[in-house]
Parts: sequence; C-alpha cells; structure tokens
Amino acid sequence: MSGTSRVQLCFLLLSVTALRGHARFLGIQDNEISPEGLLSLLSSELKRELPEEFVYRRALRCLDMVAVEGQFTFTAERPQLNCAVFFIGEPSDIISIEYNSVNIDCRGGDFIKVFDGWVMKGEKFPSTQDHPLPLYERYSDYCETGVTRPIVRSSQNVAMLFFRLHQSGSSFTVTFRKLINPFPCNVVSQTPEGSFTMIIPQQHRNCSFSIIYPVEIQIGELSLGQHNDLKRSILGCAGSGDFVELLGGNGMDTSKMFPMADLCYSFNGPAQMKVGCDNTVVRMVSSGKFVNRVSFQYRLLGHQELQQMKGNSVEDVCLRA
Amino acid sequence: MKPVPLVLLITSVLLTTHVPLSTCRPRDLNLINNQLDDVLLNRAGDDAMSYLLLYLQRNLGAQKAADVLHLQHFSTPQLRSDNSLEELTEFSKRNDDPPISIDLTFHLLRNMIEMARIENQREQAELNRKYLDEVGK
Repeated sequence: MSGTSRVQLCFLLLSVTALRGHARFLGIQDNEISPEGLLSLLSSELKRELPEEFVYRRALRCLDMVAVEGQFTFTAERPQLNCAVFFIGEPSDIISIEYNSVNIDCRGGDFIKVFDGWVMKGEKFPSTQDHPLPLYERYSDYCETGVTRPIVRSSQNVAMLFFRLHQSGSSFTVTFRKLINPFPCNVVSQTPEGSFTMIIPQQHRNCSFSIIYPVEIQIGELSLGQHNDLKRSILGCAGSGDFVELLGGNGMDTSKMFPMADLCYSFNGPAQMKVGCDNTVVRMVSSGKFVNRVSFQYRLLGHQELQQMKGNSVEDVCLRA
Repeated sequence: MKPVPLVLLITSVLLTTHVPLSTCRPRDLNLINNQLDDVLLNRAGDDAMSYLLLYLQRNLGAQKAADVLHLQHFSTPQLRSDNSLEELTEFSKRNDDPPISIDLTFHLLRNMIEMARIENQREQAELNRKYLDEVGK
C-alpha cells in the first residue's frame, strides 16, 4: 500500500472511532421508564394480545383502583381537575400502560401523567433511595412524550395515572397490562396475609416489600452473602453492606419509617415479630457482592391483639411486640 | 509537513477535544423538581401557585422549554406583559407536578384495593369460563 493511501486509511479509521462514542451516547439517552435489557426479552406484550372479545373494558372513575388487565376509558362529563388512578398487580408483575385514543387539550392545561410508583399524602413508594430512577424520570407526561412513546412501563407492581381535563367531552383510553418480573424488588402487597421470597441477585440496590396493614411477620429463612461472617455481626448492621430491616410507619415513604428490627446475618428457622403500624415494610439492602434472599410470611393482626399491644406499649405512634 | 506527523497531530486534536459524555446530558432536573415538590406540597394552594409563577418567571427568560432550566440565568423578577403571563399560567398549569397527595387514608386505600381484587378475580373467572367454553367446542 502506498504512503498516502495508508495515511488516508488511518485518518478514516480515526474518524470512525471518534464518531462511535456519540452514537452510543444517543442510545443511553432514551428517557423511557423501561426495565433492564433482560426483561425486555422476556416481556411478550405482542404475544399476549387477547382477541377482541376477551379484552375487559370498563369506564374509569376520577378516583379509581385497577387490578385487572384491560382497556379503560375516562370521559369527562364536567371539568375534572384532580384525578388519580392507582394500578396494582401481583408482587411479581410490572405494569404496562398504553395510550390508545386520547382526546384532550394539552395547550388548554389538560394533562395525563403516569407516575412510576404510588404517591399518597406527598409520600412516594418506592422512596427515592429505593428506586433506580431519579424523581423527574418517574413522571411520564402524555403531552410531551405520549405520542412518540405510547407505552409506559413501571419498575414494580404499582403505578399511578394523574390527569386533569378542563372541558367536558374530553376523554382518553388506556390499556393496562401486567408483565412478568423475574426479580421483583419493591412490592406493595394486595393482601394482609401472604408469603413472599425476595431475591436480590448480586445487585447494588435496596428493595422494599410494603404491607399496608398491621401484621405479624414470620421470617423463615434469611441468606445474606455466601457464608456466615461472624466478624460482621460484631460490627452490627450499620457496618454491613447487606442486611434486612423491618420498618413500621404510617405513611408510604420507607425512608420516613421507624426501624423495628435489623437482621445482619443469615439464619434458618422462624423469627417472628408483630408490627402494629398502618404500613409494615420488609426492606433488604444489598451491596451487590452476594446473592441475598429472604423468605417470610405475614398475617393480619386482630383487633384484640392490637389492643393488647397498645396496653403493653408506652409509645402510641406505632406499636411493636 | 509530512503526512504522518500531520495524521498524528489530527489524532491528538480529535482525542483531546472529544467532548466527554457527561457534559452533553441535560441538566439535572432533580434539584428543581425536588424544590418544586417541596413548595407544592408544603404550602397551601394560592401560595404555591404564585411562588411557582415567580420561580418559573425567573427561568423562562432564558428558555421557554420546560425541559432545561438554566440555574445560572437568574434575573430579577419583572412584571411581564399580559401575554407572556398568560402563557406562563398555561405552561405552569400543565407542568407543575401534581401535588396530589390525594389525602387518601390507608383505610380508603385498603378498601379500594379489596374492590379491585374482587373485580380481578371475577374477571379471571369469566376468562377461564370463556377459555373452557372454547376448548369444549
């Protein structure tokens, strides 16, 4: 090869190398609330399309809770300024919301927003510490991105829709689907009784399982790290990167709840605790070095039990026994 | 100049001026939204709206789009003409994060979940019946 053509070839290769970085950057900038790469392989929205007559349909109310897959339409008979719809699935589901036909006046101040989580009394679940996305990315506005990206996915089994319609006659239709999540992290339990196994496979994240009832929790098995590290237990949970904590409180935000118990090392065999709070949370903190697993059961605390606990306890904010 | 040193010069220029990815990312809205959230949640209705209008007024001077608000372009708040104030209200109507701390009690929430579950179970039973009917044919 002659000198000049070699130089030209080198120059060409260099330019290609310089450009490659930008292309990669554009890919990451995708702002959609989307699950990790693995999940998008497993999600099969297209395959699960039901034939028309099998799709569940009903009208949506201004304040509503939806746990069933289907198509929901909201029609404003009068101006509705503060509406919210809660979506909830099974613990191992994530939620997919698709805009079908939307007839609103964006310029007139109407909006439809999907929030990745639940908001109640200003408190968000999952909390900002437990959610992979920053707060502004958890809101998805139809007027901004709804047309180009009509499907929004949540990161856990709960999501919310906020909307405001000024004119009577405005309407919109959304399709709600539940997709499988192989490693659920952040769950709101639909029932006051049940059982669950939370697994965090070598990821550096915090996961919360929220039971919005006063319950007795029985932890059957806890596996933190690969082996029992006696040194760790001396330091206490604060020094450990992997632990499970039991929280109790009267709001949805786990970062504002009171720790009831800390578990820093693996064990087998049931350990139980009664938490007499409106919201009971089992939270696992994981450093990412190990595969952590906790299995637990929970049952509703009866009225009498709660009364008994109240009698024994000094504080009345949240009861424990 | 010989071609090889020229190529080396161009290479070094390209590599050193390659813009690091982090500077191209949009500004962190987290800060702003946290403040907005705070404002909207902790102050009652009218107060929040006027505070929000003032806040947005300062920033809209730099750029109209809601997406990127440049923190360093603060200017003293001025009384704007009616037109732009109207625009501002329209804009803020849509863009304030709904402070719907729907003041829902846990009791109400639990009841709603229970009703939704019943609806789900009923629909699941219906679907199962339809599937079985199809299979039966």
